[in-house]
Amino acid sequence: MEISTTKQFDLHRRMVRIRLFEEAAGRLAEANRLPGFLHLYVGEEAVASGVCGALNDDDHITSTHRGHGHLVAKGGDFNRMMAELMGKATGYCKGKGGSMHISDTSLGMLGANGIVGAGSPIAVGAAFANRYRGRGQVAVAFFGDGSTNIGAFHEAANMACALHLPIVFACENNEYGEFTPRHKTMAITDIVDRAAGYGMPGVIVDGMDVIAVHEAAVEAVERARQGGGPSLIEAKTYRYYNHHGIQNLGLKYRPDEEVATWKQRDPIFTFEDRMIENGVATREKVDEIWAELRQDIETAIQFADDSPYPTPDQIMVDVYTKSSTTIGTKS
Amino acid sequence: MTRTASIVGMIVNPNAGKDIRRLVTPATHTSDVTKVGIVRRAIVAAFESGASKVLLMPDNHRLAERASDRIKGDIEVLDMPLSGSRFDTIAAAHVFCQAQVGAVIALGGDGTSRDVAIGWPDAPLIAISTGTNNVFPSAIDGTSAGAAAAFVASGAVCLSVVARRSKKVVVKIDDRDKSLDDLALVDLAFINSMFVGARAVRDPHTVHAVISCVATPASTGLSSIAGRIHPVGRWETGGVFVRLGAGGRKVRVPLAPGSFTTMEIAEVRRLGEGEKISLSGKTVLAFDGERDLPVSAFGTVTAHIEATGPLLIDVEQTLVLAAQALMFDETARHISEGNHVY
Repeated sequence: MEISTTKQFDLHRRMVRIRLFEEAAGRLAEANRLPGFLHLYVGEEAVASGVCGALNDDDHITSTHRGHGHLVAKGGDFNRMMAELMGKATGYCKGKGGSMHISDTSLGMLGANGIVGAGSPIAVGAAFANRYRGRGQVAVAFFGDGSTNIGAFHEAANMACALHLPIVFACENNEYGEFTPRHKTMAITDIVDRAAGYGMPGVIVDGMDVIAVHEAAVEAVERARQGGGPSLIEAKTYRYYNHHGIQNLGLKYRPDEEVATWKQRDPIFTFEDRMIENGVATREKVDEIWAELRQDIETAIQFADDSPYPTPDQIMVDVYTKSSTTIGTKS
Repeated sequence: MTRTASIVGMIVNPNAGKDIRRLVTPATHTSDVTKVGIVRRAIVAAFESGASKVLLMPDNHRLAERASDRIKGDIEVLDMPLSGSRFDTIAAAHVFCQAQVGAVIALGGDGTSRDVAIGWPDAPLIAISTGTNNVFPSAIDGTSAGAAAAFVASGAVCLSVVARRSKKVVVKIDDRDKSLDDLALVDLAFINSMFVGARAVRDPHTVHAVISCVATPASTGLSSIAGRIHPVGRWETGGVFVRLGAGGRKVRVPLAPGSFTTMEIAEVRRLGEGEKISLSGKTVLAFDGERDLPVSAFGTVTAHIEATGPLLIDVEQTLVLAAQALMFDETARHISEGNHVY
């Protein structure tokens, strides 16, 4: 499968948007300008970009507590995202959700989730609905390696396979569950070894290589869309920042050398080098893309700064849905 | 033949048998538990059959430690830095050579055996398939492999009787200011692609040419192309060159397990041993079935086939000879130095 020039630029743009948004968010958090927690996706850009680049606009994804990258990759609006992180009324959740509940259902992004492992069952529900409605939509559950030790993941995988649903399980194996290395919490190394236990195929890809991720995602999504059922993609990846986005906290749960080694395989820079080597892009063109998107980030920060906070009378608005139907009765 | 010890070396590639082909074909998934089981059986059988020591390559999955857990015997997991890549196999094979290992068991695909051959060109090798389109390694149980390795390592069965020198594709890449030497044990393919990506070669339209030193219709993957029009056996001299393109025979080929495609053959010709072939221009080189190395438009790749590959041990023949020499009798269980019979 050869990746077109247009698609290469598309994947590159998704990754650069994530990198710039996340690094800007990190700087704002360190300056105490963002309330709440922040978990940055820097280093893992190839996974969300490679997968979301294989989806249609109306396909669904569920996310994790490290969810900004997924929303950006699905086409999230910088202004509304930055406003949400700042708790402003113009944000995606009107400033009341923050980083870990950010979502845009119009883009099929069904939400980040502060509960580890909680996204996978939601994706199964979306997949069930998609098949029921027969519109050919696919759902993708993004989740981390640590969440596969949670019951919700196992129930989701089992139900998806038992019902042969159009879903892709996209595991971002970054080797750490918060501050704990993977080998201290599970006896296996490859999450993909769990796939066969539910009766679905599973594959490992280099999560620092957007083309490798995209190739697998295209196949998995097409398989799901054509009625082939669930599959699991395990992307071996790494987050450059700590579990959350604040640097220089003196946390010593992983060696600096390890971080440096992974950074040598940076998904964006290595991809840019290949694009230039292949004659698809020039350094000048790449620099233009970065400059353009940096400007978008500055615009988003300004938009968020200029936006109002939600007023106290809005505190209960959108918290509970207004039910228009009651089960067993006509609306 | 004199040996100071009967050492068997074992390498298990933790990454084999899990790539994208499980998604697009019915290829087998080989779990870590499966690999650990094979190695564990091999270790037990090696000690049962006279090995004095087992050396294991460490790996990021800790398969070596898990496979050797609670087995009595002189077992050593090499103390070496890990990269988590194929370079661990290359380094371990080199250490095995230095340590005068008598036989190496390698679990993986064609690429794993290739890496052993890079680290130790003359390795006495039993290659067990845990990969995808495996031509060089075979489906051998660890029990049989461990026993055969021990008989060879101890000298009880003579290596020169049960092992044959395999072939390899010797590759030289000149690309601008870089010059690289490499090898393949089955095939070298020229792929019209921009990226290494998910590594496996899946799109038949991207295959430009293949140089195979082993090409059998009983295989799957790139070597099966030549295998279905001009077979070349493992022990025949030389190999075969195939160029894909319009105008020739159209052949049905299993490019992956359980997955058939039509490939159009523009050129096929026999390659004699040592006969050089050069191709220039932009390509991605696939060694033993996996995209591995991009070559620029200024690059030239020169390759030839020669019989300087690893010494491939025939497990069945080894065990037959051992049986004929009564080595499985209770009284022969402790095979001593110099007690070899062939």
